[in-house]
Amino acid sequence: MGLSEDKPWLISSIDQVVNWSRANSLWPLAFGTSCCAIEMMMATNSSKFDLARFGAEVVRPSPRQADLLIIAGTIVKKMAPRLKTLYEQMPEPRYVIATGACTISGGPFVYNSYSTIRGADEIIPVDVYVPGCPPRPEALLYGILTLQRMIKEGESMAWTGKRKKPVLAALPPAITGDDIYSEMQVLLDEQSEFNVRERAKESTWHTKEYDEK
Amino acid sequence: MLNDNTDPIELKTLQDQFNLGQKGLSGNDTQEFFVNMGPQHPSTHGVLRLVLKMDGENVKKVIPVLGYIHRGIEKMSEYIGARQIVPLTDRMDYLSAMSNNWGISRAVELAMGVETNSRIETIRTLMAELQRMQSHMLWWGVLGLDLGAVTTFFYGFRDREFLTELMEKTTGSRLTMNYIQPGGLMFDIHEDFVKDVKAFLKYFKPKLEEYEILLSGNVILQNRLRGVGVLSSDDALSFSCTGPTLRASGVPLDLRKTEKYGVYDQVEFDVPVGEVGDCWDRYWVRLEEIKQSMHIIEQLIDDIPEGKFTTLKPAKKLKIPAGTTYSQVETPRGSLGTFIQGDGTAIPYRLHFRTPNFNNLWAITKLGPGGKLADLVATLSTLDLVIPDIDR
Ligand code: SF4
Repeated sequence: MGLSEDKPWLISSIDQVVNWSRANSLWPLAFGTSCCAIEMMMATNSSKFDLARFGAEVVRPSPRQADLLIIAGTIVKKMAPRLKTLYEQMPEPRYVIATGACTISGGPFVYNSYSTIRGADEIIPVDVYVPGCPPRPEALLYGILTLQRMIKEGESMAWTGKRKKPVLAALPPAITGDDIYSEMQVLLDEQSEFNVRERAKESTWHTKEYDEK
Repeated sequence: MLNDNTDPIELKTLQDQFNLGQKGLSGNDTQEFFVNMGPQHPSTHGVLRLVLKMDGENVKKVIPVLGYIHRGIEKMSEYIGARQIVPLTDRMDYLSAMSNNWGISRAVELAMGVETNSRIETIRTLMAELQRMQSHMLWWGVLGLDLGAVTTFFYGFRDREFLTELMEKTTGSRLTMNYIQPGGLMFDIHEDFVKDVKAFLKYFKPKLEEYEILLSGNVILQNRLRGVGVLSSDDALSFSCTGPTLRASGVPLDLRKTEKYGVYDQVEFDVPVGEVGDCWDRYWVRLEEIKQSMHIIEQLIDDIPEGKFTTLKPAKKLKIPAGTTYSQVETPRGSLGTFIQGDGTAIPYRLHFRTPNFNNLWAITKLGPGGKLADLVATLSTLDLVIPDIDR
């Protein structure tokens, strides 16, 4: 879904500005119920995989300040109404990423379990699915990049509140972490104001042993 | 206030328990009130819900409400074979997946009378100790975060990532390893394993000193932890606490010393024990445990015995004989008991996990009341709870 041709010029250029700023300032809600939350923390806050470079690192504990809900972990029947409440408390426009097999289909708990919800999309609408059990931090970053692309291309003031079709942000089989790093690097080189590679070399926290490894 | 989603029966019970509407502290015209902490709250480390009776800033009563991540693992285990249960235990206490795998594997081995060789036991011990360090690192980082020191989080996660990658090389997974199997291991260790572990130890030794400089000596941390949340040894025993929580209260119970499993009887290590049982002791015990784990690994890493990495054929059906078995292992959070009852088929008749966090949690009902709300957060953090392990 690209920008529609039959939109007036003014709206489409405003759209571009608005979407660009929305996509680059996603504020996730700190919502993790189980295992996937650890890998989400790894992706958002740790020093190796740093979500900050995509403008999405401001993790908010309150749903009223957040606009991205990363559902990390199994949703069970007792938690389902709370998840719905959390979603409804978030201000528009809001986006949902479902990470992990549990939030896509029930995952390891799909058979014989009497209490899990088979997929978070039974409760709230989901924009991007990130498969894995748990998804690697790279995969989650890829999911967030996918969401950003969706926002940049597919939203318009002309049809506010209209949801796009959900997409699956699975890492294609032959893709490795290095490919994602290089894609990130291209983005970084395009969008940042200074040369990130040079800066990284100057940083001092890397010890020699860590690099040698 | 309690939110609208609370079901009426639960609300009635809570109201009865709380006896709201009374005057607050004697002589003061204060009104007592409910506060819901959780299920979505950053410092409960997941979806634990604590209903608090407050008088101003003072906590009067704490009631944990469970079940927000109850996935029915025990019931699911009654439909699947032992090899399929192992990956489910990864998801119980995901920060100590190795020890959990070991718990169920050991129970099945005891029930079936399967012998393992010394290579298997050595690798299991090494992996469990690496996991213990990894788990304590995460705890250390998150403790700092809970008390308002964001930097520790980055430090803890930076070093944890090193271990995660190291284990991924051997097990193929970063978090849910599914590595220790009944009768042996899933794969043999990666050829780089020994080299990597040595590199890690060399790298991590100075980092641990950095941890102490950064956080332990900090006067704010000391003030917030010392004398807060004192758990006496009697209370700890009556709540059936285990692990560092119990040892910080002065009871030197460590299953690695008392249960005969792994190769813990061939290595030398101390069991750090606290004196007072306050948050500081729990902090100190965990940091000491990291050092002891490093000590154990140093003794084992140089001569891993030769041998097969599994003693059972992968295709073999694991028939669990009739009768009951109970086995315990020491996870980073305490003792994980596995009760297994078989009826001669490949599917267990009943499986029960006695998880450490469930018992450690209830200490909060004793530690919370009488303190401030902010101290409750510090206490919760030093208990080191993993919520899916409580609910299962
Ligand atoms: S998808 Fe896997 S890792 Fe994620 S919450 Fe479910 S069981 Fe845990």
